[in-house]
Parts: sequence; C-alpha cells; structure tokens
Amino acid sequence: MRSNYTANGSVHLRILSQDQCELLYSAATRILERTGVIYHDNEALDIMKKAGCWVDGKRVRIPSKLVDRALLTAPRRVTLHDSRTGLPVMDLEGNNAYFGTGSDTPFFINPYTGQREKSSKKSVGWACKVIDALPNIEFVMSLGIVQDVPQAIYDRHQFEAQVLNTSKPIVTTAVDVAGFSDIIEMCECIAGGEEELRRHPFMTLYAEPISPLQHATEAATKLLLAAHKGLPVVYTPCIMAGGTVPSTLAGAMATGLAESLSGLVLNQQAREGSPFIMGGVFTVMDMSSTIFSYGAPEFNLMMSALADMAHFFKLPMFGTAGCTDSKIMDGQAAMEAAISIVLSAFSGANLIHDVGYIEYGSTASLELLVISDEIIGMARRMARGIEVNDETLALDVIDEVGPGGHFLSHDHTFKWFKKETFFPELFDRRRYDAWKESGGTNLTKRANTKVKEILEGHEPAPLPANVRQRISEIVARAEGSLGI
Amino acid sequence: MSNFESLSKAVIAGNVGQAAEITKNALDLGARPMDILNLGLLPGMAVVGDRFKKGDMFVPEVLMAARVMQSCMEILKPMLVDEEVPSAGTVVIGTVKGDLHDIGKNLVAMMLESAGFRVVNLGVDVPPEKFASAIREHKPHILGMSALLTTTMLRMKDTIELLEEEGLRDKVKVIVGGAPVTRDFSEEIRADGYAPDAASAAELAKQIVGFSVSS
Repeated sequence: MRSNYTANGSVHLRILSQDQCELLYSAATRILERTGVIYHDNEALDIMKKAGCWVDGKRVRIPSKLVDRALLTAPRRVTLHDSRTGLPVMDLEGNNAYFGTGSDTPFFINPYTGQREKSSKKSVGWACKVIDALPNIEFVMSLGIVQDVPQAIYDRHQFEAQVLNTSKPIVTTAVDVAGFSDIIEMCECIAGGEEELRRHPFMTLYAEPISPLQHATEAATKLLLAAHKGLPVVYTPCIMAGGTVPSTLAGAMATGLAESLSGLVLNQQAREGSPFIMGGVFTVMDMSSTIFSYGAPEFNLMMSALADMAHFFKLPMFGTAGCTDSKIMDGQAAMEAAISIVLSAFSGANLIHDVGYIEYGSTASLELLVISDEIIGMARRMARGIEVNDETLALDVIDEVGPGGHFLSHDHTFKWFKKETFFPELFDRRRYDAWKESGGTNLTKRANTKVKEILEGHEPAPLPANVRQRISEIVARAEGSLGI
Repeated sequence: MSNFESLSKAVIAGNVGQAAEITKNALDLGARPMDILNLGLLPGMAVVGDRFKKGDMFVPEVLMAARVMQSCMEILKPMLVDEEVPSAGTVVIGTVKGDLHDIGKNLVAMMLESAGFRVVNLGVDVPPEKFASAIREHKPHILGMSALLTTTMLRMKDTIELLEEEGLRDKVKVIVGGAPVTRDFSEEIRADGYAPDAASAAELAKQIVGFSVSS
C-alpha cells in the first residue's frame, strides 16, 4: 500500500498566496469603510442605511462586518440549466471552469464578406447558432448589440435572437429594469413559471458598477431586481489600472474587489441567499492608445489572481478569456486568446466569458470563437494533468513489448490513446503533401470554413411554437410601448 | 442476414471476441464463408478505411480492426478454396542498411496487411544484397524501402542499382518513404512510387497492383 500519498488531480495555478488573499480582502474592506462607494439609487441607499452603513448623501461607507456577513449568506454554488430540457449543465463553484462568449459588441466580422459590419439581430442569431454547435463553449453572451431595431428596447430582440438559436445558458444584459423584467418574463414562459425559473435558472442577469467605486441607478436596480426574483446576477467591475484605479496591480485589484463586494452587500441585504456571481474584467489602460486591453499580461495576471480571490471568498466567479486587442483574426489574436484561455482553465474561474472578442471587445469574430473552442479543448487536456498509477505506468506492457518493439497495435494503446490524447480539428498536423493538396490553407481560412459549415448545417433544438409565440408577443409589446 | 451487419460493426469497433463469435455462429447456421467475408468483414474494413481518411478513426483503431479481420480469416481460411482467399499481392519491406528506425516501416507493413497484402518484413539495417535475395525468394509485386536519416536514404539508390545489375529491377515495383524522403528524391533514384505516410503507402500499393494486374 502507498500511504500518506498526495496526487495532483489537475494542473494548479495560483498567483496569490493565502496571506496575500487576506491582505487584499482587508484592503478592499478598508476602502469600503474609509473611502466608501456611491449608490445613485434611492432604494439602494435606504437598504444600505437600514443595514447599518454610514450614509452621507449618496456616499456610503460600509462596515466590514456587513461584507463578512454577505460572504456567508451568498450561495457557494450557482447551477445553470439547459433552457430546453431544464437539466443542470453548469455547477458554478470551486474550480469548475466553463467558457462562453462576450456580449454587446457594436461590430462583428461577417464570415461571408470578411467585412467589419454593425452587429444586428441576424448576426447575433448567427453567433448563437455557432455557439450552440461548439462542444467547448458552454454558455452564451450575445456577441453583438442588435442595432437594427429601436434602441430603447433592443435587449428584448437580442434575447429573442439568443434563446431561439441555442439551448445553452445565457448571461444577459438589458437596457434597464423594464428590459430585464421583459426578459425574465420570456424566461418564465420557457421554464414554465416563476418558481420553475428560480429553481432551474438557465440565465443570469448581468450588471456592472462604474469604476471607480460607483453603482449607477441601472446597476443597483438590476442587483435589487435579481435579489427580489431570486435569480442569479453577474456583477462585473471593469477596471483600468492607471486610469480608473491605481496603476499598481494590488491597488487596482483592491479597488475592483471593493466594487464587487459593495454590490454583493446590496444584493444580499435585499434578500439574503440570493445567488451572486462575482465578476471582473481587471486590466490596464494602454497608456499609448488609452484602450481597455483584452490581451495584456497584466490582464491575465489579475484575472488569475481574481480567481484566487473568488476561491478564497467561496463565491462563484465570472472570468474573462479568449479575447484580443487585435483588429483581425491573426497571430496576435490566436496568441492572446490562447494565453488567457490556458491561464483561466488552470486558475479555475467558473463562468469565463468574452471568447470571440477582437478589437479590445468592440468586434465579434466567429473565426476566433471556433479557434478558441479548440484552444479550450487543448487547455482542458492540459488542466487534466497526468494520471500516475499502475495502469497508466504500464510496466507490464513496456516489458511485453520490449526494446525495439512498438506499441501501435497493443491493447493498452487501443484502450488509452483516446482518453490520454487531444485531437485537433482546426490546428493542422497533416503532412506537408496532404496539407498542400487540400488547398494549403491557414488557420483563419479553416476556421472560416467551419463557421460557414455550422451556419449552413446546424439546427439548434427548437422551442415549442406556443413559447416562441409568447416571446415574440413580449417583444412586440415592448415595441408597442414606444408607440411604434 | 442481419448478422453480417453486426459483424461489420464488430470489425469497426475492433472487438475481436465478438467478431469471432458472430463468425462461428454464422458458420453454424450455414452461412457461406465467402458471404461472411464479402458481406461482413470487408464492408467493415471499407468503413474503417473511409473513416481513417476523414480523420474520424485513428491508427491504433485501424490496426485493431485489421487484427479482428485477421482472426476471423483464421476461422474462415480452412473452408475457403485457395483461389477464394483474397490477397492483394506480396510486398517485401525493410529499413535500409545503417538505419535502425522501424516504427514508420512497421506501420506501413501493418497498413498493407490490413489492405489485404501479404507482407514479408525484413526488419532494419537491410543491405541491398538481402533485398535482392528476398525478391528472388518471395517474388513480390512490390519492394518497399524506408529510411529516417538523410545519410541512410542514399542506400535506397544503392539497392535499386543492385537490382538493375542483377536483372531484378523490372520484376518488381519499388516504393520508398520515410521522413527525409521526398517525391523528387524518389524520382531521382528511379523508384516507381513515393508515399508521404503509411495510409497513402497502402493506397499507392493498391494502385500499383491494380495497374500491374490490368496491364
């Protein structure tokens, strides 16, 4: 027997030690006590005052015991479901890493023309169809703003385009609380009622504070609506080191965490036990172009460190990966996407979004999406690590084959090679002649072909006709309210 | 008989035990050995070849399917008359003198066997004289030579020249392969064919045999 033995069940990545996590948590709560945050919403201010915060106009200073309490009352796990079957498909907790797209880009690269176009209801439908077909993409954000409809209610169209084209869970943005209410109503129709949706959610709401340290009315009311409905909400500070937060990564992280935690306190004070997913796109402002970088090494470092913090807090976490600052699908795009995907998979963020973002999050590329799907497959293989035991050491097999033999036709190879090995589809490993004869294509070209094959060949599971009808009525009702 | 379909499936799945059992049962029930071969085993192997080409099946699975096929053939062979036992032809194969690399050459040999060829594998470090005497002895349709090193691949040329000197060159088609070998090189040394990988080597061999039979 082998006693007192430790095995790595997967690859580990940690940026922060336990002590550094303590220090960052302490810093974030000191920011909340000393500097405080602004809530622009009156109901939020009332709730925070009743909870025991020091409220001075809109400025709220939060005693750290309220943060401690919120961390205890928020659920450790949020489970998301398939919208068609109602079956659980993602357990957001611990180190479970799931990947999905990003939301609301103004542009997309049309796979048929290669042109950068304004995103539309059609482009969002295309994106969701591709997402639905990809094995390593588990959830959906729209990958485009629906801009060819009235903009005051575009969110209803956007949600309709998503939910018709995929059964995977959806992280949804909304224009305002009225938009969220309509989207929730659509989801209740699909789930079969308010309680059914709460028990088996297939969507989570999404909101962002405004850095530094402000909760706008829309964000605060979304946090409250989610709490009242008992639905999960992703709350995502998007901080720019050197711009909206200090240029030192520790100070940047402390500020971002203070924003997340003050959102959490409001959400939990509205209804304790409400599911909350701590988000964050923590990166630098590029001091030359002033963009919010989606490919910087500091972004990757802080996102992995944020996963450490989420594990420290025992909160589900919304991560970011598979994205790039490059304007086109090129070497930079593939490299930046690969680094963030691998590090996210290794650090164990839970709900990892923005796969398919190019141009620092302004444009969606379906080619990058399908390439990233394959990178995620590779990252998952690496994250799985190396299984070491008698069967995998295979000493009997090695002895049987002996020096100069081969393992190609051995039963052990037949049994294991598929479990042990990742097989690429887009990354080309053919011999030169075979590659040349099939057109001598590059990765982007093969990705584009795959995108078109999915768009022309994949049929997402349909929703029942009466549910589709109800959804389109809710969209029409929203349009009607505008007097259209 | 629907058992032929499950036999094909057992070949594709690489399930030796199941395929042997189906074969024996079919014989017990009075099926003709040729039907078991033509309607069960061969269609299964055809699917395997197809899937491998498309990238849906992998080398160890093809080899396992070939092993299933061979073990069923062991059962059938005593019941088939000689001309019914299918053989695409004979191939003598070896790694050239000075070179001990043989995984690629063995893979080619196994692919040839699964394509129905009888393969005489001379092993590694094979001098030209040994290739020549094997041709005299086995009278193969094809001679296959392999090399992994740029230094040893020149021994292929030596072998071909010896075959010419001994009047054996037109009795056999020579095909070459190995990591440093190119189509240009194969033409330069007056080989009859070149294949970049094991699967296309088997394809090439089938083509060559097809030509020699019809001509």
